[in-house]
Amino acid sequence: MTEPILQIRNLVKTYPNGTQALKGVSFDVQKGEFLVIIGLSGSGKSTLLRCINRLHDPTSGEVLFNGRDISQVQGEEVRTIRRKIAMIFQHFNLIPRHTVMSNVLMGRLGFTGTVKSIFGFFSDQDKNSAMKYLELVGIKEKAKMRADNLSGGQQQRVAIARALTQNPEILLADEPVASLDPATCHTVMDYLREVNKELGITIIANLHFLSLVREYATRVIALKGGEIVYQGSPKDIDEAWFERIYGVGTKDIRIN
Amino acid sequence: MNQNGYVWKRTIFDSLMFAYLLCVVLVVIFDPDQKELLDLEQNFQVFLFGTVIGAGLSFLLNKKGWKTLGEMIFEPPFKKAHAEEETFWKTLSGWQLVIFVGVTFVVGLVVTRFSIYELLDEDGFAGAMRLFKGLVNPNLAILPKAVLNIVETIFMAFMATILAIPIAFVLSFFAAKNIMTSRTGFAIYISLRTLMNVSRSIEAVIWAIIFSVWVGIGTFAGVLALMIHSIASLTKQYSEIVETVSEGPIEGIQSTGATKLQTIWFAIVPQVILPYISFTVYRWDINIRMATIIGLVGGGGIGTMLIQYLGQAMWPEVGTIIMVIAFVVWFMDTASAYLREALK
Ligand SMILES: Nc1ncnc2c1ncn2[C@@H]1O[C@H](COP(=O)(O)OP(=O)(O)O)[C@@H](O)[C@H]1O
Ligand SMILES: [Mg+2]
Repeated sequence: MTEPILQIRNLVKTYPNGTQALKGVSFDVQKGEFLVIIGLSGSGKSTLLRCINRLHDPTSGEVLFNGRDISQVQGEEVRTIRRKIAMIFQHFNLIPRHTVMSNVLMGRLGFTGTVKSIFGFFSDQDKNSAMKYLELVGIKEKAKMRADNLSGGQQQRVAIARALTQNPEILLADEPVASLDPATCHTVMDYLREVNKELGITIIANLHFLSLVREYATRVIALKGGEIVYQGSPKDIDEAWFERIYGVGTKDIRIN
Repeated sequence: MNQNGYVWKRTIFDSLMFAYLLCVVLVVIFDPDQKELLDLEQNFQVFLFGTVIGAGLSFLLNKKGWKTLGEMIFEPPFKKAHAEEETFWKTLSGWQLVIFVGVTFVVGLVVTRFSIYELLDEDGFAGAMRLFKGLVNPNLAILPKAVLNIVETIFMAFMATILAIPIAFVLSFFAAKNIMTSRTGFAIYISLRTLMNVSRSIEAVIWAIIFSVWVGIGTFAGVLALMIHSIASLTKQYSEIVETVSEGPIEGIQSTGATKLQTIWFAIVPQVILPYISFTVYRWDINIRMATIIGLVGGGGIGTMLIQYLGQAMWPEVGTIIMVIAFVVWFMDTASAYLREALK
């Protein structure tokens, strides 16, 4: 078996205010997986993703990326990690006043000198690759529009294009469809699947709806109170498991 | 533990108020002469004695369930939620407030030597009328000179603002709590904020006096004075805007592997640029008014011209100058209001 792209070992995150968001989480991610993390609000999903790309600093434990522990690296190395492990967010986190194109080019910041980028000197190669990924998510014609004039679904696709422009090995998605309506939700998820299948980018996504999990995930991890309570195939999650993860009496809300 | 931190604030508030009232009572009773009033050490001891008594009193009263004014002001929301409404004159804190305002008003009348008699004095009144007559019959012969001088004042304000912008722009990020998160960062944040607060609390007029000694009386001293004051004010206002930016774009840019500088430029600057411009226009507007005042102490421009004619009691000329100032201030005020509205 090949080495996992990501190995999480006993990961603990305690926030400065004392909240223990992760209490020793361990799992592996194989290259090319579409791993979905589920769990109640507050179970530590966002914290987990942010510890992987080092938007947050883990308190203890290891995060092995291609076999190398990145949980404590600093400075320049953190930025290299973030470049290779891209991320999209529930609220898209684009720059509202900038154009779609300019937003996608942000994916090249990690490769461009600070002064060059501030004056907007991105190479033609960067612009071409930005355009290529805008085409891939089907909004090439919106390149010159202001990002905040787009619908939620379109903004999330811009965010995906921005992430792809980083040429990442892993794409983290923190509740990528939680603020979208059901129809748009599937469009965005379909693009994520395409990114996973066609470009071979490993995806780790936080999701809320079990129906989506069954449709898109190759594997599922369930968090509860900062601990893993389930790990396995999405097909094996039955009503009983669902109740264990989300609490007794919960019914799956289906989106179709 | 933390929930009772407010007790300190309450006690300090109540004890200061009590000490103040005690001092007023003592002055009324003993009617001290000038020498006794100037005995700072003794007076301070009396005041300190008052605060100690006040603190004890505040503590006892609140313990007995009589809410003091300090308690009313500083009690935390979770306690307020349970408090019953009472008409103010039935409460201790209501009476405390009434006595405080009443006493302060009377003391104020005495201290400022407020006198209806002086106001209605016939000689004084006639003098004021002569002055007014001069003012409303301006001497237009000096209008060209006044216009030249106010142009100088406008440029003083402009230069001070322009020079302050880049400095305040850079400093504002170092004075924003949400950016200076590391330990050294926080130290820089605190020292910068303190420095800015101190230089802001020194009036521009004082700066003008300092600089006119340094670089000589004139417009340059005025520009420097206004600039210092503008840097301090703009840094504070700018950094407060930086502290309210939304986290989303910052995370978004950070997640691409951007440097700190890139994150500031691409995630924060677009969010703050319009409010920055708005505050800057307003600052220029304020600077024009301040530049006039600074001129009075030798900062050049229309203020310097005004003080010359004022000194010679040449009221018609003063009238002309006031007219020109009023027009420019009104114009800049209106223009900047329209500009700021458009930038929202
Ligand atoms: N910046 C923070 N400071 C302190 N506590 C936090 C912070 N972010 C999240 N938490 C806490 O950590 C726990 C996990 O939060 P989070 O990772 O956001 O969960 P999820 O994404 O599953 O909703 C929650 O109890 C939350 O309140
Ligand atoms: Mg979350």
